[in-house]
Amino acid sequence: MLIGIDVGGTTTDAVLIEEGKVIRAAKVPTDRDNLLECLMSPLDDIIRDVPLEKIERVVLSTTLITNLIAEGKIDPVALVLEPGPGMNPDDYTLGDEIHIIRGAIDYRGREIQPLDEKQMKNVASTLVDRGYDKIAVVSKFGQRNPAHEERMKAIITGVSPKIQVEMGHQASGWLNFPRRAATAMLKVATQDRYRKFADEINKAISQRKIEAPVYILKADGGTLPLDKSMESPVETIFSGPAASSMGVMALMPSDQTSVVVDIGGTTTDLALILDGEPLISSTGAKVDSFLTHIRAFAVKSVALGGDSIVRAAGDGVTLGPERAGPAFCLGGPEPTPTDAMRFLEMIDIGDGSLAEEAMVGLGRELDCSAEDVARKVVDVAVETLVREIDQMFLAWEQEPAYRVWEVLQKEKIRPQNVVGVGGGSLGLVPLVAEKMNTTGIIPENATVANAIGAAVARPTLTLTFRADTERCVYTVAEDGTSGEVRDRKMDLGQAEDMARKLIVERAERLGVEEYAGEAVVTHSEVFNMIRGWSTVGRLLDVEMEIPAGLIPEWTGGGR
Amino acid sequence: MTGKRMGLIFFPAFDWAISPTHPEREERLLYTRDQIFEEGLMDLPEVEEYKPRLAELRDIARVHLCVPNVEAQVTDAHLIAAGSTLVLADAYMDKKISNAFALVRPPGHHSMRVAHGNRGFCNVNNEAIMIEYIRQKYGIRKVAIVDTDVHHGDGTQEIFYHDPDVLFISFHQDGRTLYPGSGFMDELGGPKAMARTINIPLPPETPDEGIHYVLDELVLPILKEFDPQLVVNSAGQDNHYTDPLANMRFSAQGYARLNEKLSPDIAVLEGGYAIETALPYVNTGIILAMAGLDYSHVREPDFVPGQFQMSRTMKATIEAIVQHQKDAWDRRDELTDTAVSRAGPFYRRKKSIFYDTDMISESQEESVKMCPHCPGYMTISSRASKGYGTSDRVFGAFVPLFACHRCREEAKEEYESRKTDSAFDYIYLQDKTADDYRCYSVHEKNERVY
Repeated sequence: MLIGIDVGGTTTDAVLIEEGKVIRAAKVPTDRDNLLECLMSPLDDIIRDVPLEKIERVVLSTTLITNLIAEGKIDPVALVLEPGPGMNPDDYTLGDEIHIIRGAIDYRGREIQPLDEKQMKNVASTLVDRGYDKIAVVSKFGQRNPAHEERMKAIITGVSPKIQVEMGHQASGWLNFPRRAATAMLKVATQDRYRKFADEINKAISQRKIEAPVYILKADGGTLPLDKSMESPVETIFSGPAASSMGVMALMPSDQTSVVVDIGGTTTDLALILDGEPLISSTGAKVDSFLTHIRAFAVKSVALGGDSIVRAAGDGVTLGPERAGPAFCLGGPEPTPTDAMRFLEMIDIGDGSLAEEAMVGLGRELDCSAEDVARKVVDVAVETLVREIDQMFLAWEQEPAYRVWEVLQKEKIRPQNVVGVGGGSLGLVPLVAEKMNTTGIIPENATVANAIGAAVARPTLTLTFRADTERCVYTVAEDGTSGEVRDRKMDLGQAEDMARKLIVERAERLGVEEYAGEAVVTHSEVFNMIRGWSTVGRLLDVEMEIPAGLIPEWTGGGR
Repeated sequence: MTGKRMGLIFFPAFDWAISPTHPEREERLLYTRDQIFEEGLMDLPEVEEYKPRLAELRDIARVHLCVPNVEAQVTDAHLIAAGSTLVLADAYMDKKISNAFALVRPPGHHSMRVAHGNRGFCNVNNEAIMIEYIRQKYGIRKVAIVDTDVHHGDGTQEIFYHDPDVLFISFHQDGRTLYPGSGFMDELGGPKAMARTINIPLPPETPDEGIHYVLDELVLPILKEFDPQLVVNSAGQDNHYTDPLANMRFSAQGYARLNEKLSPDIAVLEGGYAIETALPYVNTGIILAMAGLDYSHVREPDFVPGQFQMSRTMKATIEAIVQHQKDAWDRRDELTDTAVSRAGPFYRRKKSIFYDTDMISESQEESVKMCPHCPGYMTISSRASKGYGTSDRVFGAFVPLFACHRCREEAKEEYESRKTDSAFDYIYLQDKTADDYRCYSVHEKNERVY
């Protein structure tokens, strides 16, 4: 049996799955101030009378980190940057407590200016005096050579061993210094509170005598053992939309191209599944005001939901962006798209006569019948969603390309299906699909697709390998590890073999080794370094990942 | 969109090279990629990154007479580099961005009107293709090109040599000391466009100070007077003090400040082969300058401010060059009148062109009608020897964008009448007034319309 629980903005959903079927589901309103209770009460609901030893895995998707960051409840972190030559570091927007240290590493990981250790020591003392106990140290190109970051950390802990120091190269291996700095900062800023929360979950689960492993869902649709997730809790941000997309993957036939439309009360989340693979944001998630390197699905949030406020404007209507409260037909104060759909008998919730009252009132303002105005509301909602979906595909098509083949191969893709999940989808999704000339699908269990997605998601993992045979070194960006390359003529095949070995080791360290075999090479490239007219070495880049996918135990839906 | 952003296309063509060890190879913009991505420049609110596209064959045919056809002279990489400039041109003309930088390869400024092959690492001329696209599509007439590559932009010069509405200014290392061996002060333009070509051959080892003197005293004042509707920077980066193929002493700071002062509407990358020591820093500097951001922290690791000084002799040489070209510019109308009256009804000249990359020797005969009503139509007959006794003989008739009706008819007659001339293999018509580009194969007796 598999258990998935997704804490959403409005409701928390839990499902119990056995042999590919949802055998129980529970839904409670989300209480932001008591997330533990939110997770446990639907869990208790679905495991009542279930033989606990039959539970194989429990996967949680929570908004804890999202809430902490949105509410500013993260711990204060001082940033110590070694920017070297380039942009004026004052032009980065990374927070208030930023210190710039002299020293520089270049794009190939060579030291071009030694670290100013004395300056670092002074800054460390200042920060200790100011009461900081968390510091992120980030060098430009620190992922190509972490020596300066390691030295900075050593100096800081030399000044005060109690200070927790996060190094940029361990937060992310990709190019983009400000994103890496923001990611490192958020990583350390959320760790303590997350650990407390994870401990409480562990305790609550063991009190219930559940011995199955507990996983947490990440923004890239992958799961990680709860204990391992404490290292980088910020990766669990935005797991809700990831859960919905994974749910659609689980409920739909594989290899299809679908747009996932999750219509909630206030907003609609759009996500893309291209040939059965969820589309990952090419740059990393935007968290609050920070651009980060956190891998996340490319989700677009549209300010339109079932409870959006409807207003008369000219001879038409506008929807949202605010929520009106519950729909009028459910006892709310204002007319909403839900009332329009209820009045047109597209859905069957709430009180029909209240829906009529809402539409008649709105019609009076526009000098037209209740039916006409209800159609107007639905048309505007459908048009908005179709336009946003089109723009999403367009944006994907317009992503930059740096190689000839990338420019040549990118074809125009449009979805085969529009798949609705979440409460508000029932009425609108078929109309959106019709307008787009595609198939509209509301899968069975669509209202708990997010919890199903969490339950059946498998782990994900990335590895960024780079070898510089002239300098005789290789680095694995995610781990901050490096080693020696003896063969100056290393070819791409050898580099890929090495990366494959390294990702297995990495999977073991993170407790997801049983999926290491699923790792694929997503990008590999070699550059000959020519100086004068001869080859002096090679730069080999290999990127591997275990992509988002479903665990083999899942046999339901389209499988 | 605010309209306060710079548009950027970064197309490093990581899967394209002239040959594995050629300076124009996959690795060229690799470290530039590392630096500008690591800086996070693409995330800046001041920078909008665009996706490249392929130029259409007719976009190439609008500028070049490709022998035997466009496909034979371009790879997909060329079409993407040229197409990138067109994407940015559209965004700029639609006012979605306030300026743009096409950080793309392969380069183009050595490509001339007739293209038999690759010369100076170039097959087709990206700037010229972009400018003629813009003039055709958006009705712009006056354009200024400032070529800041260390090599003379001989291709661009040749393409616009007779066009009085295109001001071409190139400063470069003296042609007596560097490829392509041209770009001297007496190359001032065709009779009807005198002093619309301004060459500034600089002594080797000229540092930032010298080039900024030229910019302040000559280039900027001329630009102001010419008052173009579009300013294009043909942005080579090989004046850098570490460039392996040239001998100048320019720095990343110097390049960034140049772009700040020149404030080009669109910059297009040309040469620059110090792929580790210069390009990452120069490109970061140019992007920051064009985006209106502080570039004062951009510095090469080994650069010491003030390390390159001008000698008194060098200073005097440069001052004399500037004065000489200033005079030419001031006398442009007089020079034009004299040259036109001296030319008679048709201006004719013979040229020989060597394609260093592809080892082709071309000889050309060019003829321009000294039309009193328009810039005049042009014909070129060209013969290219490609070694082993093979050669291509071609004839082209060219109608400029602002040609009069009569010139257009005469050019078309030339095209028709040569179709049966067995002295040629291919006959071309490039009619910009009708945006009509044709090629006729004399042997196969068929016509291709682009």
